[in-house]
Amino acid sequence: MIRARVLCQQAGRQAGGVILALLAASGLLLLAGASPVEVFRQIGLGAFGSVTRLADVLVVWGPLALVTAGLLVTFAAGLWNIGIEGQIVMGAIGVTGSLRLLQDAPLPAWAVLSVALAAGMMAGAAWAMLSGLLKTVGGVNEIFGGLGLNFIASALILWLIFGPWKRPGIGSMSGTEPFPDSLWLPALAGTRLSFWSVALGLAAVGAVALLLSRTVLGLRLKAVGRNFRAAYLLGVPAWRHLLLAFGLCGALAGVAGFVQVTAVYHRLIPSISSGYGFLGLMVALIIRCRAAWVAPVAVFFAAITIGGIQLPIALQLDSSLSGVLQGLLVLGVLFSDGLRHRAAARP
Amino acid sequence: MARPGAWGMRLLAGLLLVGLAGCGSGPSPDVATPRTDEFVFGLLMVGPANDRGWSQAHFEAGQYVEKNVSGTRMVYVDKVNPADRPGTTPAQLANDLLDRGARLIIFNSDDMKDGALEFARAHPDIPIIHISGDNAWPKGRDFARLPNLANVMGRMEHGAAMAGFVAAMTTRTGRIGYLGPLINDETRRLAAATYLGARHAWTQVLKRDPGQLRFKVSWIGFWFNVPGVTADPTQVADGFFSSGFDVIVSGIDTTEALAEAKKFSTPDKPAWAIPYDYVNACAEAEGNCLGVPYYNWGPAYVQHVEAVRAGTWQPSFQWLDPDWSDINNPDRSAVGFQKGAALPPAAAQELDAFIGALAGGLNLWTGPLRYQDGTVFLKPGETATDTQVWYLPQLLQGMTGQSVSNQ
Amino acid sequence: MDITLQDIRKTFGRVIACDRVTLAVPGGTIQGLLGENGAGKSTLMKILSGFLRPDSGEIRLDGTPVIFRHPADAVRTGVGMLHQDPLDYPTLTVLENFMSGRPERFFPSRSAATRRLRELAGTFGFAIDPRACLDTLTVGERQQLEILRLLSLDVRVLILDEPTTGISAAQKAQLFETLRRLAVEGRTVLFVSHKLEEVESLCHRVAVLRSGALAGAQVPPYTTAELVALMFGRPIVFPQREPAAPGRPVLELRALSAMDDRLRLAPLDFDLRAGEVVGLAGLTGSGQRLLLRTCAGLVRPVAGTVRVNGRDLTGQVYPSCRRHGVVFVPTARLEEGLIGDMNLSEHLLLVQPPRRLFIDRPRALEAAEERIRDFAIRGSPDSLMRELSGGNQQRALLSLLAPPLALILIEEPTRGLDLESAAAVWTRLRAHCRAGAAILFLSSDLDEIRAHSDRIVVFFCGRSSPPLDPSRTDREELGRLIGGKGWDREAAG
Ligand SMILES: Nc1ncnc2c1ncn2[C@@H]1O[C@H](COP(=O)(O)OP(=O)(O)OP(=O)(O)O)[C@@H](O)[C@H]1O
Ligand SMILES: [Mg+2]
Repeated sequence: MIRARVLCQQAGRQAGGVILALLAASGLLLLAGASPVEVFRQIGLGAFGSVTRLADVLVVWGPLALVTAGLLVTFAAGLWNIGIEGQIVMGAIGVTGSLRLLQDAPLPAWAVLSVALAAGMMAGAAWAMLSGLLKTVGGVNEIFGGLGLNFIASALILWLIFGPWKRPGIGSMSGTEPFPDSLWLPALAGTRLSFWSVALGLAAVGAVALLLSRTVLGLRLKAVGRNFRAAYLLGVPAWRHLLLAFGLCGALAGVAGFVQVTAVYHRLIPSISSGYGFLGLMVALIIRCRAAWVAPVAVFFAAITIGGIQLPIALQLDSSLSGVLQGLLVLGVLFSDGLRHRAAARP
Repeated sequence: MARPGAWGMRLLAGLLLVGLAGCGSGPSPDVATPRTDEFVFGLLMVGPANDRGWSQAHFEAGQYVEKNVSGTRMVYVDKVNPADRPGTTPAQLANDLLDRGARLIIFNSDDMKDGALEFARAHPDIPIIHISGDNAWPKGRDFARLPNLANVMGRMEHGAAMAGFVAAMTTRTGRIGYLGPLINDETRRLAAATYLGARHAWTQVLKRDPGQLRFKVSWIGFWFNVPGVTADPTQVADGFFSSGFDVIVSGIDTTEALAEAKKFSTPDKPAWAIPYDYVNACAEAEGNCLGVPYYNWGPAYVQHVEAVRAGTWQPSFQWLDPDWSDINNPDRSAVGFQKGAALPPAAAQELDAFIGALAGGLNLWTGPLRYQDGTVFLKPGETATDTQVWYLPQLLQGMTGQSVSNQ
Repeated sequence: MDITLQDIRKTFGRVIACDRVTLAVPGGTIQGLLGENGAGKSTLMKILSGFLRPDSGEIRLDGTPVIFRHPADAVRTGVGMLHQDPLDYPTLTVLENFMSGRPERFFPSRSAATRRLRELAGTFGFAIDPRACLDTLTVGERQQLEILRLLSLDVRVLILDEPTTGISAAQKAQLFETLRRLAVEGRTVLFVSHKLEEVESLCHRVAVLRSGALAGAQVPPYTTAELVALMFGRPIVFPQREPAAPGRPVLELRALSAMDDRLRLAPLDFDLRAGEVVGLAGLTGSGQRLLLRTCAGLVRPVAGTVRVNGRDLTGQVYPSCRRHGVVFVPTARLEEGLIGDMNLSEHLLLVQPPRRLFIDRPRALEAAEERIRDFAIRGSPDSLMRELSGGNQQRALLSLLAPPLALILIEEPTRGLDLESAAAVWTRLRAHCRAGAAILFLSSDLDEIRAHSDRIVVFFCGRSSPPLDPSRTDREELGRLIGGKGWDREAAG
């Protein structure tokens, strides 16, 4: 009961920001000569208008929730894990590599997929820990380290796709040879949605929520995030916890890469991350470590992404408008948060 | 403290209501149900609808159908590629078109091959045209035997040969650059066809030593520039022009080569380019454009739309020749060549003669021809079969550049 | 400037920090403000300086009501405040901090500011390098800088919230001299402190707050007993120092030398025995802090060895020192000691070695309640640390020390504590000693050092005196040593 009330209060506080963002977006649309009502209606219908659409929203939601859950861990530890995109990419590379190795082996599909999942998690975690090591050992701020590692990861994936993993006789960025259907995560009938993608997303969100709210480890991560120095002096091995936070986040990013490869694209493509890393950063920014909000806010963002596809189809508007809308939402919520903070600072 | 909560609930409820009202206020919860007498067809384009290239040619073909077959309407999505629309797949977007009432779906790119097949399998009752694919070709390697999949492609080998022909007729340095997209069967054969046209002009018309002709292929990695992923076509074009090449034949969907030709051209060192795909592509820089081989998809689209409407549609594989009586006839010819303002009159005359020869049965794919690695492709006098041309495994001897990706 | 605070009321949730306080201070007065920890002194002063807005009540300056929307408003009107916990910019340099908050040209003159800073620092005998980065300064030095900054802003009302916790006796004398001069010039000074003798010697009048309300006021001659009674509402018993019965050596330093960016610690040999309390005296930045941090493993020694309970911990980092029973309690409470956004029960969970996966909330709450009772902390298990008053933060910090401990290294153990709390803290620390721990502490309060140390080591420019017996060393001699006199004799002896 109390929990529900707290959630409602939080929702109320964010509603102001959302309204603000919608108003700003409406103004922008009017300037662009489009009817805001029609645009929002199209986005709404595009996201929830049919079962297939809803399934498509959930296709985005799965990896987005995974990534956001991971980012909550790093956010809790006070880290800006900008390297998340690269971690998804490395996860996908790990998955693809292990699938390529094992796809002809006499193993059941579930075993191959499990190995691939583990490989993806390890690759993502390793890449994230590299950010962490750069920070802890080299003193490189994780934002710069992450940006650099993102570049390296995308160079690596391009090299693999145009080079060693190219389709025979083909040199194209359109990706590697698709995997046989047996290695696809099964989709629910008539949709592109895999049960596993949603299940993994839910499990990750649940686990992270539990980690951050109920466990000693979560408390320690938060302590490190809020005051690194004090946590260290209070006896928390702060550096190790930073690395751990990176590792956990990277592992979840790796799972997102796994879902993208085995449930969405069924192969490796250069933009395998689909930008979910940055989208996840936006979601995490809005919800500010309140894990209970990951699921709904990620649905919201996924819905805008999917619903936005209707804009060019129905209204001949550029679909990058949905990105603008998402950005405005983040700004709106942060802005109203900021206003509230100022107000709270001098009640 | 309970205040903000209560307020929040009210606000949220209000928002939801507004949202629902918005959704409910349409004609019906379903999306834009078409009138029963209207025929809606869907088009998925890999690039922007206004790319002055491949996608625009398709887009205008769709408009051609709307104009020429009454009661038809096009629904479309452009930029259907994972870089522009992250997280989406062609099959998913095709579904959206289906929801908008489309009863025929056109996938316009080789890049959508997997998506088109996936979609065709999932919707056996919806006719699908996959442009440039081969899954409906009984003789092809990847024949899929689907009851609802057709392939359409223009025999651009002719257009490419014409492009190569005028390039060789015009070049002063004897160096022709070919700005290639990604590497696959289609792009290899078009690059080779361009080379064959150029070699024909060089040796048969100009009577010059074939060893003096340099024909270099540079691939960017995709049909158009994807920043950070592909090589930048502008820079590749710059590279050509600044290393002694004075004509670029473009094989990509966009017109960077032409823009660069205009930039690099000086009175004593002119530079030219030949864009690709779209009939009006020269408009970007008329003064440097030697012409453009283009597709004219309209007539084929009309034929398919009418067949679907009449209920007579059958899967087919079409590899459409130009209409040799007038290759630029908008209602009949699938492939054409629009001469550019920069084409010298003499070369233009020779081109007309060349087109006449092609119409009369000249086959450039006649032996002796060797692959790039020196192995024999066609013995003297032998002509290539359709499958040999379609699935050309390597570039030809005399061309430089990668045959297969080995980055 | 005449100040009138009329019926000022301020609540934080259920806590009434100020309860209809009415206080009039005529211009040219030095007004003292006393009260136990959490009485509401800082809150009242923050209201006067525009950091907080009162729930109700009125501020009048020279009879005109004012409403400050922002601290800058207050500064513009001539009201400046030195905060108990420095509110400065640790990442900027001293000079940049000094220059901040001035209504100045777009391109302020650095050289003029440097000159002004040097000049002011000179008047007070403060040694502050304008180019140093602020985070290399001690809390005391940061307070000094802030005082200089406010003086340079030419404020007409100067609020000092516990300004004397980090400065030496000589510097204190200088400061008081200045304050008196400012008062003569007609400026108004509000002076918050826990040290009765300071207030008694400096202030023209004193007001006492208790639980947010004005408990009473006095003018000289003051009677200490009455002030104490007003502050606490009950008499205070001060613990007597029981001479330690030193046991085996806990800390053995051999030729230990360390360095930071400001000074080098001369090689030091020293033994600390179980049950013993040793106080480190000296001007800020003379080496005491460096020594404590070196023993804690926070600074790597350049030479020599550190042994704790016979185990060589030289060069070990703090976490491993901690595993061997060494704890370090820093001065900058909210920066290094506590996590402002966490509450006491969470802190208690943090300091325990993690034995379980999940948090046992009822037990954590229970433990927190227990500490709150034992340490008389004003707050609840779930009040955030930053919401506690300064003194209560210090109590909370000390309540986190969990036996068994071998060595407690502590900076300014009673900084900001009222008399009663200070007494309570030392009772607690003594209890740790009886349980076998040894304490090494530094303090800028000579009286505290003399009252609680079994032995005293004085530091000057990185050199350290041999341990002195407090009962045989008088205040003056200590003062001389701290000021750098008589070192050659000491070194020889
Ligand atoms: N931001 C805040 N949020 C909640 N409670 C607060 C806040 N600031 C102060 N309080 C509470 O108000 C009361 C008065 O605090 P204040 O800081 O004014 O005390 P003080 O007299 O300055 O004490 P000390 O001598 O320890 O500094 C305390 O109980 C404290 O916990
Ligand atoms: Mg205070």
